[in-house]
Amino acid sequence: MSGDAANGHAAGGGGPAGEGLEGQHALGVRCEGLSFWYDEGATRIAALRGVDLTLAPGASVALLGPTGSGKSTLLQLLRGLLAPDEGRVLIDGLAAGEDGYEERERRIGLVFQMPEMQLFAATCRDDVAFGPRQLGWSAAEVDDAVTSALAAVGLPADRFGARHPYSLSGGEQRRLALAGVLAMRPGLLLLDEPFVSLDPASRRDLEAILRGLRATGMGLVLATHDVDRAYGLCDARVVLDEGVVVDAGPWRFGAGGEDALLSHRLKLPFVVELWRRLGRAAAEAPPELAAAAEALA
Amino acid sequence: MSLIEIRGLRYRYAGADDDALHDLDLTVSEGEFVAVVGANGSGKSTLARLLGGLARPAGAARAAVCGHDLCDHEGHFAVRRDVGVLFQNPDNQLVGSTVEEDLAFGLENLALPSPEIARRVDEMLALYGLEALRTREPHLLSGGQRQRTALAGVLAVPRRVLVLDEPTAMLDPAGRDEVLAAVRREADHGLTVVFVTQEMDEVLMADRVVALASGRAVFDGAPAALFAERALLLSLSLGLPPAAEVGLALMERGVLAELTLTLDDLVAALQAGRP
Repeated sequence: MSGDAANGHAAGGGGPAGEGLEGQHALGVRCEGLSFWYDEGATRIAALRGVDLTLAPGASVALLGPTGSGKSTLLQLLRGLLAPDEGRVLIDGLAAGEDGYEERERRIGLVFQMPEMQLFAATCRDDVAFGPRQLGWSAAEVDDAVTSALAAVGLPADRFGARHPYSLSGGEQRRLALAGVLAMRPGLLLLDEPFVSLDPASRRDLEAILRGLRATGMGLVLATHDVDRAYGLCDARVVLDEGVVVDAGPWRFGAGGEDALLSHRLKLPFVVELWRRLGRAAAEAPPELAAAAEALA
Repeated sequence: MSLIEIRGLRYRYAGADDDALHDLDLTVSEGEFVAVVGANGSGKSTLARLLGGLARPAGAARAAVCGHDLCDHEGHFAVRRDVGVLFQNPDNQLVGSTVEEDLAFGLENLALPSPEIARRVDEMLALYGLEALRTREPHLLSGGQRQRTALAGVLAVPRRVLVLDEPTAMLDPAGRDEVLAAVRREADHGLTVVFVTQEMDEVLMADRVVALASGRAVFDGAPAALFAERALLLSLSLGLPPAAEVGLALMERGVLAELTLTLDDLVAALQAGRP
């Protein structure tokens, strides 16, 4: 089954979270018949089977599905960390090996689960600079990228640049790890369960940062079990189950759209559930709690 | 009767400049369900480890858990028999090559007779809905099934206290519901539960909630009382369950008279307010 996940989100005025990161060329990605197997001794386990998917430039897409459905594998294939056993990934219409593909693939940023486990440098600035330095940028370019990235995640370089990453709080460490990816100026940002284990305030901070990045026109793919935040941040959803895309496209509720979530071990966003319980049209449930309260008042 | 009676508990990680737990007080009675919340780094997981005897406190005026002294070398080992701990990632605590082997592991360590181990394993498989999976390899199960297996393994050994450290963080919504239902059932059968969580709606399962900040308990009361303290919640990096967030916004607009904590409450309050 294939899906066209989302049209681009209209690029609005970048909030403070996205300042310095505007104007990056957003990447369009297409997966064609992607399959991938993990070797488990004698047996091979299919992680993805024939995934067709289109991510329009600047689209923000929630990647949903039960544990083990293939979300993390798909992110790693999109980033080129794994090579598909079948099928291919096209970036801006280019296939692997074609001129300009590598440069574009490098601009797909992946934030792993619990990325703060990979912080290693003695200062925040050095940690964020690691990626840009690998790209062979000049010292001035690296400096500029690091400063913008730190600002974008709310850890301004003048206050945090010289600090040791381990002196930061858990939420700050997660944001620092995000800055390390943003410093490479991605045109598409992939996030694997970015809210897991953060306290509520840190989740709110991270959500605001992602909202700001989206407003700069940066594409987002958010793999998460947090359906409420996914609904608030993303225009569209892709539902994976057992390695197959079972649903893709803009959120739709009412007329059976709920089944795409409920029959795959997922739940409905809180606001959608509330709208249903109140006998309101679920399709009109606003994506954010504040807007829901506004509508009810 | 108090199963946990702690006064002035201190703990510091090797090489750290500050105490992870600092002068912490906590009392939990037999059969109570207590949630523990707090910002990242406030000491929740450290507390869970100490309660389970997985580390020894730097000191305490009193640190009695199930009658064992946590500060005492023997006591902090002995408490492991009475207190079961379930962590966030089941893969770090599943040890068997099949589900039933995993459930038998703790019982075998107690050197119980084989028929008794077999009987107890069967009982736990049935209770946790794992019979059909008994010969399966744990790493091939879904996240929810793995965490249920880990929980059944922890509780196969009869425990007096269950400590949970963000047990649903890695799970999909259905898996989360399965694990919470299992915890709920154990609590309803009288097991004493200490539940560390970042999920504000999970706090509503508890009789009492303790909020930590910088290694100290700074709030101890009913969940509804914590969620009514808006300024305190913000200062502790906490939040509201979604129904309370919408409810609070509606209270501020004069639509609702009282804070609603659950979806059911919110729906009922809105429907009652309708002409």
